[in-house]
Amino acid sequence: MAALRSVSLRVGRICRCSNRITVSRRNLSEQTSSDETDKEEGTERSTHFGFESINESEKTGKVHEVFSNVASKYDIMNDAMSLGVHRLWKDRFMQVLDPLPGTRLLDVAGGTGDIAFRFVNWIKQKEQQRRKTSGAEFRLNPLETDESGSDTGLPSAEDYLYSEQRGDLSDTEEKKDSKVIICDINQSMLEVGKERAKKLGLEDDLVWVTGNAEELPFPDNSVDAYTIAFGIRNVTHIEKALCEAYRVLTPGGRFLCLEFSQVSNPLISSVYDLYSFQVIPVLGEVIASDWKSYQYLVESIRRFPNQEDFAEMIREAGFRMVTYDNLTSGVAAIHSGFKI
Amino acid sequence: MAAHSRIFLPFRFAIFTSQNIRLRPRLILLKAEHYSRISHQEGVGASSPHAEEWTPPLYQEHVPTSLFQKALLTVGSAAVAITDPYRHDMIAVLGETTGYYALMRIRDQMKADPVGQLILSERPRINTRTVDLEELRNLPEGTFGREYVNWLDRNDVTPDSRAPVKFIDDEELAYVIQRYREIHDLFHTLLGMPTNMLGECTVKMFEAVQTGLPMCAMGAVFGPLRLSSRQRWKLRNYYIPWAVRAGYSAKCLMNVYYEKRFHEPLEELKADLKIPPPPQVPKSTSSNYSRLYKR
Repeated sequence: MAALRSVSLRVGRICRCSNRITVSRRNLSEQTSSDETDKEEGTERSTHFGFESINESEKTGKVHEVFSNVASKYDIMNDAMSLGVHRLWKDRFMQVLDPLPGTRLLDVAGGTGDIAFRFVNWIKQKEQQRRKTSGAEFRLNPLETDESGSDTGLPSAEDYLYSEQRGDLSDTEEKKDSKVIICDINQSMLEVGKERAKKLGLEDDLVWVTGNAEELPFPDNSVDAYTIAFGIRNVTHIEKALCEAYRVLTPGGRFLCLEFSQVSNPLISSVYDLYSFQVIPVLGEVIASDWKSYQYLVESIRRFPNQEDFAEMIREAGFRMVTYDNLTSGVAAIHSGFKI
Repeated sequence: MAAHSRIFLPFRFAIFTSQNIRLRPRLILLKAEHYSRISHQEGVGASSPHAEEWTPPLYQEHVPTSLFQKALLTVGSAAVAITDPYRHDMIAVLGETTGYYALMRIRDQMKADPVGQLILSERPRINTRTVDLEELRNLPEGTFGREYVNWLDRNDVTPDSRAPVKFIDDEELAYVIQRYREIHDLFHTLLGMPTNMLGECTVKMFEAVQTGLPMCAMGAVFGPLRLSSRQRWKLRNYYIPWAVRAGYSAKCLMNVYYEKRFHEPLEELKADLKIPPPPQVPKSTSSNYSRLYKR
């Protein structure tokens, strides 16, 4: 009945991961369609692989195969397909994250290391800035040489302030605290990332781990920030990956996701569709001799939920203050949530 | 430059000599309904008038493409093929995207010949599974099969390295171009040319005359750009004219059932197919170098 369908209900849902009841508005029709991608077919559930339908058990293997094939030319293809714009997206991503020195970052599906390298450079830059500003202001060591100190036994206001600052600034401590772990399910992508790290001279600052986003090999409450850039649409069960993100983050930790999303503007959308389906597979064939992987890429973008739906999924996993930021009119979007 | 404008005039690749030319409705650009094969199956978008133009894959490895994509592929693959000669798959793609009409002409030629008809119906393939290389090695010296495996060993190639056909939108023509690719090595043996750039350009010119494929002509014209001037001189004065003459005098080599003729002596086979022997190129030493180079 059409009338009933359009009524929106406030339904209490238990958050999948946090056992906290959140209230979310759901339309009646949405409840029945929420499981449409998980059709029961006997005992085997089917899911989407681009525009194909395959069994869920096969999807991880097929995605793995795609990325083994594209690993060696991954970065060249990224530059060719997005005309270099992906670098701006990732720079913006790091600006949104704005990590302070001392952050422990887990970069999932971070294969070739783009986000991790930016993180390391960001932290180094922050530390340099701090050292510069503190170096300019700090002249004396008030704790050790106190000859010019006041006649009264009490320290002056300036000394008090300087001593506080000095107490906070020990470089070795900060460098120890800032950590980044790169986790990817595909070893070939990690190998390519390691090569790049060597070339950039960053190999000592990074840890590379093979792991599945749906079952992370890390303990609970162990990272301050969890990032996933252009990886979550390849995961078979996105909800599981979000739950795992919730699990490994410390309270107050931030979940940040950069992913392709839906373009709402119809003019830009038609140009984008044309470019995606006409040009990108051709680029894949010409540069990487691989039409099918790049056909899968553009199809998987179309199958990924839009900004609002994905934000809802993040909320259901237990994250709060979930927001999103569109990049390039919705071609990509940065979703952010906090574990609080 | 190796190729002369005079050579192109008598080329037999007039595309409209084929009697069976059919101008199918061609997809210029894929429509939005074609993107979602799932929505197609569920009936969404099937009411649109463009829905019937979508061709599902006609054979394994077939990738249906629109005219726009074929144009892009042509430009891209040509650019990559000339800059990176190790990308043989790009030359293959170039052949597929530009060769549709030439392939129709070849198919007509094959249909007009009894052996060609046999090949089209039986569809023999040449790879390590279908051709027993050990058996060919045991043939006496001087036979076609023995010379073929000697050539394979000498140049360190295998018949398995041919890329599958992807962009031809007709199942029979896909076989024709696959057959052409697989007998390319046999052409090398028949002509006595190695797999270096010089030999490849010569064989490409020969094939351009024989088959009329635009990719062969492009390869023969642009391939020599990567050669040294001495090699280009040899090509221009000896190899290319010989290749063109051989291409015209030889019978249609797509109509030969090579698998059944491996035991024949090579020289007799060449005589039967009317392939002249390779040219005698004078060795350019330091003494006659300048004399030879004076035009």
